[in-house]
Amino acid sequence: MRSGTTTRRRGSRWWRSRAALAGYLFILPYVIFFLAFRIIPAAMGLLLSLADYSLAGKVSVVGLANFERLFGDSLFWNALKVTAYYTVLTIPLSVAVSLAMATLCDRTLRGMSIYRAIFFLPVVTSTVMSSIIWVWILRNDGPLNWLLGLVGLPSVNWLASETMVIPALAVVSAWKGFGYNMLILLAGMMAIPSEYYEAAQVDGAGWRRRYFHITLPLLRPALFFVLVLEIITSFQVFDTIYVMTGGGPVRASYSLTYMIYDQGFGYFDFGYASAAGVVLLVITLAASLLQRRLMNKGQAA
Amino acid sequence: MHVPLAVCALITFFPFWAMLAISVQPGRGIELPGSLLPRDISFAAFSDALGSDRIYRWAINSTVYALVSVVLVLLFASMAGYAFAKKRFLGKEFIFWLFVAMLMVPAHLTLIPLFILISEMGGLNTMWGLIVPTLANAQAMFLMRQFIQDIPDELIEAARIDGAGEFRLYWSIILPQTKPIMATLGTFVFLWHWNDFLWPLVSQRDPSNYVLTVGLNTLQTQETELATIMAAAVVTFIPTVLVFIGLQRFFVRGVMMSGLK
Repeated sequence: MRSGTTTRRRGSRWWRSRAALAGYLFILPYVIFFLAFRIIPAAMGLLLSLADYSLAGKVSVVGLANFERLFGDSLFWNALKVTAYYTVLTIPLSVAVSLAMATLCDRTLRGMSIYRAIFFLPVVTSTVMSSIIWVWILRNDGPLNWLLGLVGLPSVNWLASETMVIPALAVVSAWKGFGYNMLILLAGMMAIPSEYYEAAQVDGAGWRRRYFHITLPLLRPALFFVLVLEIITSFQVFDTIYVMTGGGPVRASYSLTYMIYDQGFGYFDFGYASAAGVVLLVITLAASLLQRRLMNKGQAA
Repeated sequence: MHVPLAVCALITFFPFWAMLAISVQPGRGIELPGSLLPRDISFAAFSDALGSDRIYRWAINSTVYALVSVVLVLLFASMAGYAFAKKRFLGKEFIFWLFVAMLMVPAHLTLIPLFILISEMGGLNTMWGLIVPTLANAQAMFLMRQFIQDIPDELIEAARIDGAGEFRLYWSIILPQTKPIMATLGTFVFLWHWNDFLWPLVSQRDPSNYVLTVGLNTLQTQETELATIMAAAVVTFIPTVLVFIGLQRFFVRGVMMSGLK
């Protein structure tokens, strides 16, 4: 039973009917913009990675030379390392916080919608605005260090420390994004039928057993979804780094996305930057494919 | 149970509180915890920020960017979503999945080609050059299609029998039915544009064309008075909060639905 327009006459050449023509016209503006500003640039990005394009506009095809240079560039490997380090820190932190907060919010309580709104607030606010405030918070003489001082811990110059800058950025990202993931997990939790919990309670299962044996297993799809979302967004982190550290100190936060921007708009080496962009594309695709593979395995189980 | 929730809420809200507290205490050096508990509130930093021509301009730019984009994105996405949901035409499936596949492409790969493209078209440093690349929003179209698919065919057939033409069908029958999704989607798209940073950064070189996010970032290095920076940040913050509070339930519903699908 197909939805959609019904054909007037069986066997009429439906692709020429007026309805089909209207179909083409209705998607036309969208298709034009999509073609011009998404598909063509994506193709251009791939082609640019194989070329040398200087700002003077002279383009010359250089094959894989950009990639050769890239893989021999310690800056690139550093960027990959920085991005991986950042991702490895951010994801567990972010998922754990989101899960904890979703668990906390999975109850009926007066004012819950206000709490949820506050938790979601960082998500809807501008990354630039949040980052500027966090720069202040993480200052050597800022409130975080002041708080640490209160409990006798030493101050850390977070954003100027080569070792602590990435953990600090991970915390900022977790703060920024946990509300979104929390809502997704909460939706998953709310979808679990209460009969399961009731049956377990009748069997004498305590809070902990119910959580680990009912909630978490049934939450697996949602957790997966959140996990993959986090991986993809972590690899594309840019605004926070640009505003808070500019890739420093001493390239300690010089991520792959920052490298693409820097090579493209700092050094105007468009071909080289595009090659780095292609690497980012491959990583993103690999992550998505991996997710699909794992999801299917999970569902078959 | 209120205690842990309240503590978490306080921690989450703290950065915003700090921003507000600093913005109303211009000229005062930072002392902790004093700075976080404002004594003499003054809005001098705000009149500084809004009186400054450039910050005012940035706010206008952001507003135009966000509003125009929302209208156009919703228009194109609903038209295309309607076509994919209710019409049959050759190549429909292929085109649709091509669009969805492009979601995989990271923005940073298309950034430089877009820059070159818009530059060649003479669109750098123009509002249209800022807006136009953002109009083909795949998620918006996808959501529209999902929603419109659920609109009963009988409604459309009835109107068609009454003699309604194609555009009239779209405008008078389909669109009014999409009000709920329009609210949700409109909110998301508005906030996405209001908070957008990378493309405005790259496409607008002239400081008077900056949007608030880009301008705010330059203030960080140029402006020495922290209160003024925070005041400008508050200016970026207020519309976000207003839109959010007003349309919060659509947001929450939208996000939770995306997880279930």
